[in-house]
Amino acid sequence: MQTIRCLTLIALSAVTLSSSADLAAQTPTSATETSSIQNGAPRPAEFTIPGPLRSFLRMAGISQRVAPEEVLPLLSRNVFTQGYEGSTRQTEFLILLGRYVEQARELSALAATSGMKIRVSNCDEAKPLLTILGYRAKPNCGDSTTSLQTADAERAFLTTDSGFPLPELERTLEGGPPFEYSYTGTTVPLLSAESDWTMASRKNYKENSRDLIRTVLNNPLIARLYWALSKLDPGTASFMLQSLGVGKLVPYAAVLDFYGTRILIRDGRVIVPGDVSAESTWKDLVGASPDNPANFLQKLIAKDKGWAAAYFDVLSRTSRAQQAYFTDPRRLHYFYEGLRTIDPNSAATIGSFRPAPDLLLLAARLQIQPDGEPLIPGNIPVWKEILQQKNNPRAVRMLGKKINLTNPDQLIHTMIAFSRISDSGPLPIFMALCELDARRPVGHRLSPETVRLLASKYEDYSDQYRIFSEFPQLSDASIRLFFDVATNLNDTPGAVRGNALGTFQADVGIWQILARQGQIPDAQLDESWQHMVQPFAKARSAAEIYDAGRGSLTEIFRFASGKPRPSQDEIIDLLAGPSQTTPAGKQMHLEVAGRLRSVLDGQRLVSLDTILALGDALNEKVQGKPTPDYVFHLAGELREFEMPRPIFTSGERTEWAAGIYNNHHTDQEMRTDLSKVLRSQSASHQQLEDARGELTPFLRDTLVGLNYAYYEPPGAQALHNNPLFVRSHDFAAETISGIKTVWQAPQLIGQGTPAGGGAHFVGSLADLPYSLADLEQDFISPESVQALIWKELTPGLLTSAILPRWWDVSSDELHAVALYQRSGEELLTASAKDAQLRGKVLQILSERIIPQQTGQLEQALNTGNVADVLPHLAPADMFYLTAEFQRRYPGVIASWGSASQELQDLERQHPDQVDLKRLSRDFGVPHPSLAQTYSSELLNVAPMPAFSGTSSRFMAESWDSSNLYWARLADEKGYSPVTLNHLVPELTRRMVEKIFATDFEDWPALLRAMHETGDDFRQGKLGSVTITDAVQP
Amino acid sequence: MYRNAVLCMLLVPGLFYASTGEVEPPDSPNLRVVVNMVQLNIAVTDKNGNYVTGLRPSDFTILEDGISEKVATFAEGYEPARSLDSEPAPEVAADLHREPSRQPSDSAKPLNAMVAGADVFVLFDTSNYMYRGFVFAQDAIAEFVRSLGTADKIAFYSYSRDLSRSAPLTPDRGQVLHAVRSTVAGDDAALYNCLLLTLKDAAQYQGRKVVVVFSNGPDNSSVVPPEDVAEFAQSSGVSVYMISTQDARLEPVSTAVFDRMTAATGGKAYFAKSWRDEKKAFASIRDDLAHLYSLAYYPKSNPNSGWRAITVKLVGDQMKKYRVRTRQGYRPQPTRFSAGEKTASNASIPDKGD
Repeated sequence: MQTIRCLTLIALSAVTLSSSADLAAQTPTSATETSSIQNGAPRPAEFTIPGPLRSFLRMAGISQRVAPEEVLPLLSRNVFTQGYEGSTRQTEFLILLGRYVEQARELSALAATSGMKIRVSNCDEAKPLLTILGYRAKPNCGDSTTSLQTADAERAFLTTDSGFPLPELERTLEGGPPFEYSYTGTTVPLLSAESDWTMASRKNYKENSRDLIRTVLNNPLIARLYWALSKLDPGTASFMLQSLGVGKLVPYAAVLDFYGTRILIRDGRVIVPGDVSAESTWKDLVGASPDNPANFLQKLIAKDKGWAAAYFDVLSRTSRAQQAYFTDPRRLHYFYEGLRTIDPNSAATIGSFRPAPDLLLLAARLQIQPDGEPLIPGNIPVWKEILQQKNNPRAVRMLGKKINLTNPDQLIHTMIAFSRISDSGPLPIFMALCELDARRPVGHRLSPETVRLLASKYEDYSDQYRIFSEFPQLSDASIRLFFDVATNLNDTPGAVRGNALGTFQADVGIWQILARQGQIPDAQLDESWQHMVQPFAKARSAAEIYDAGRGSLTEIFRFASGKPRPSQDEIIDLLAGPSQTTPAGKQMHLEVAGRLRSVLDGQRLVSLDTILALGDALNEKVQGKPTPDYVFHLAGELREFEMPRPIFTSGERTEWAAGIYNNHHTDQEMRTDLSKVLRSQSASHQQLEDARGELTPFLRDTLVGLNYAYYEPPGAQALHNNPLFVRSHDFAAETISGIKTVWQAPQLIGQGTPAGGGAHFVGSLADLPYSLADLEQDFISPESVQALIWKELTPGLLTSAILPRWWDVSSDELHAVALYQRSGEELLTASAKDAQLRGKVLQILSERIIPQQTGQLEQALNTGNVADVLPHLAPADMFYLTAEFQRRYPGVIASWGSASQELQDLERQHPDQVDLKRLSRDFGVPHPSLAQTYSSELLNVAPMPAFSGTSSRFMAESWDSSNLYWARLADEKGYSPVTLNHLVPELTRRMVEKIFATDFEDWPALLRAMHETGDDFRQGKLGSVTITDAVQP
Repeated sequence: MYRNAVLCMLLVPGLFYASTGEVEPPDSPNLRVVVNMVQLNIAVTDKNGNYVTGLRPSDFTILEDGISEKVATFAEGYEPARSLDSEPAPEVAADLHREPSRQPSDSAKPLNAMVAGADVFVLFDTSNYMYRGFVFAQDAIAEFVRSLGTADKIAFYSYSRDLSRSAPLTPDRGQVLHAVRSTVAGDDAALYNCLLLTLKDAAQYQGRKVVVVFSNGPDNSSVVPPEDVAEFAQSSGVSVYMISTQDARLEPVSTAVFDRMTAATGGKAYFAKSWRDEKKAFASIRDDLAHLYSLAYYPKSNPNSGWRAITVKLVGDQMKKYRVRTRQGYRPQPTRFSAGEKTASNASIPDKGD
């Protein structure tokens, strides 16, 4: 998270519902009153922040880029997320913020004597100021050598941390010009009258304080309610405040924080998932009618400790088609019962993040077939078996026994129940297999046997399933073959196992890249897969693994190039992308190949040619052929690698990095000396076999290195500076205990352990693009001194920039992507003058943006202020608007502007270049967590909320605007589409540098950073983001 | 005023990355390493730590992996480096009887003259570990920056989990001081990640460059180990100085790294009683900058593509009593995979259209 200068980043304490008090006693406001509130909102209340806003934002951990209306909401957010350990103990962050407010008030009082300016002309005048600031002038004030030094560390810290202009003051004290600093406060808007909040605080009654800031700082629940309401549609928030009041809402602050953003009141009724046709069903579920907003909402938020609100929120976030399925009168209540089946007494608000992420995944990604029924991989009986698998959690087995599954709805009901079991159980299996099966054509769906197999292996291999999802051409037989080979490799002897797993996975990784890049023809994917996997089916000894790794690579190479024997340059050439014919394409291809080579050099890996030639020489020696002289030189290459110059003794490593520093693999390589056996006149067959086996670790490293190099994130440093990084990849989890399965995504070990020899991965190569981005992200330097890299988002952004490649994109297609975005803007602009069109536009956009933003957009369109809102809409929103408008209103041929006209012309002339599926494939991003695949597409999902754990990746994967926007820039500049292979990673890195966010879901910060990067690029300010500087790492 | 103009012209940017002057070990047909000029900053002191000045090029012997190297350029302190190609052969006999002068560490030379020509990268630890001493360390850095006088340029970076390039290399002290006073405290510490990035920035410049780190040490976030950082510093000819307090001694890992990394790069580590008590450290660094000998050589043919040890000795019995401090070696950049490749580095942006 790109949190701003948090001294102690404390996770939000569990702020649970203090009660589920019945709110029925509240006075409901009538529908008529609701409308009047929306139409004639009273003048907003205001509050003055003491001191300069910049200083306050620094101390409150808020981005300097926020608008005034965001200040108090974000302050409130930071208070309850970072201000408390437990429910009452303030963190250092909050203590400092409180102290700063006091200091700011002292300085305000000082400034009040001079028209809210702090003025100092000489040393005497400086004394009272310096006392407040906690500094003193030394050695002799007024002398040219004068400097400020800390006198009171506590105050001085506040002074410097809040950014008080000390250097300017120092210059005055050195005898320079008078110091003058405006110290006016900043007025920011309030959600409602200050007293609404201060009066709601019981502490304030005790302490006789009515100060808003004190109220917010001292009351995490009030702070959370303020934050929650500020995220709502303004009219809805206003209605809730007026109809229920702060005091009655405070117990439900957590519910509104987690699940409130999708609540919307329009025309006197709550907009429910499923829309008007689902209102009566919701009325039955909640116990109040949506056309009585106050009653409906108060019951919704109070029902079942927040679970009704959670259910409402999840369904609100899904597409219209998904909503239609889930809110069907036969299902809505039935499914909700499923949600309440397991652990009915726990609240939906426990923890720092909302629970049950898989419920949202299920609702958003359940594959609904044309007949309105969900896709069930395999069949119902298979799932009945799966639910009773022995390795399931007990609650799952119990429920599985209880339910007599006979139809899909029962299965979905059960899966919804399992969404309450975190990170395990059958729901993740079901979702993964749904994604996998949905991409396969009807006649090629997974067999029940394969579903059973995949479900049984899920716990150990689930991260590997993405490859099956990415390539639906792989047959059931290919999937089974994979598991057969994996089982064989698991059983290889301990000394061989790591190399066996690594070599196999590296070959699979190379196949995956070439298949994705279209270099292995679609029609041959299944066949090539089997040829690639098969060599490992019976390999057990080191020499056999070497032969398998080499044979597998040879097969991949044959399918991709038609040639029989791979060479290092040719493999690199293939990985760098399909062969290019244009000058621009050739140039970019060279650049990408250069980047690959640069990583291999940084890792000081042995050339593939050397490894293969030595293998050949050993085989020839078996046949009695002489060994040519050059082979001895090649054998010498194996011994060239040197460990980095040690800083620690082995004893120190044992003491300071126990269990982390382990370079057994590299040590073994450094002991390898093939020259003896090559020179020997009497080497036995077994000795030569063993010698060939000694090549296996080198082969593994170079093949793994090729995978690492391909997925190099922009700005990477570990890949170039830690030569042990690739070698240290522990495929068999030999260096660390506690890792049960070695086929899942790698875990990072050794970070922040200086004596550990550097961080490295333990586990498989599955999810390597994300894992590398995660490791390298902190080498990107934020532009703002306050900002940190947003850890929950940046790896996803980088992955989306690295994985897609643009080798087969025409200029027309690139232009079409730009036109889709520009047409959306034109459509939006036209809607400002056309009420009917406006309704259609808002309806479409409301499926992607939150109600709060819809409300702001509607207001802006009503008043004709389109230019103000355009920067706040993401490129993907504009793309979606055009595409969806065309789909829903195909008969409306209107030219909203030049881009719309041009798009229509292009569609007529080159319909294939404007095809949405094609654009989605070429300009979308991978969704390895949301959609279980690394193939790229535009999912068109609304922004996902923040979750903890692996589900935290949902959020980043729901952002698909960057590549669309970079493509638009390239089109504007007249660049060839292939240049995106350079521009996208670099522009994304620049964007990450510019992100200055405050909270976990700060989408505006992301959008702002993207636009700023684009502006810099347009103006030629990004010197390194050109083709000319592309080669150097 | 000392300017590094001569040296700037002689040194090729990207010391080990250039594509000329490559050395190809005969035993390794697939491996190329690229080495141009190797520059050494050398401190010569007596047993009391006083700098020994007035030495000549002929007083030094440089061995790279035991191979005697010929000094190509030479400078002392703030003097401009001079090429020795056309210099007459030294009078060996005269050298044997010459007594070099010794200067106490608190040199009487004006500071602005002493440090002219150096590029100083200051790296400030603003992680949670520095919270208690944050303001005092900030005062210390401000004092250090002021004390550097008119050294060519200073850059100021700060770090916690990420690096912040607060002030790029600049001769403007005001800009640097403003950056120092604008730092913000907080978050994890990734010293070695951020030191590596700082060294990479410094390595882009020619001439004498040093990195001065203000930190109490712990690192809980880096992914690169100190060994790799130290090697990069040595290979790029950047000396690292660490300024800490006794608090750093509480963590033996940091103490070990600080002592050994600085020694390997030709720098020093200082552990003062408190941040208020760093004057000696500052003076020592300033003195180093003012008294270092800058020698450069073109390596002779060397089949070693790995670590190359550098040994610098003084010639003559009378010189044996002095101590020599410089970097311990370097590792040339291997280009096994990228050698000879054509790159797009000089190509222009392609036109639209295929």
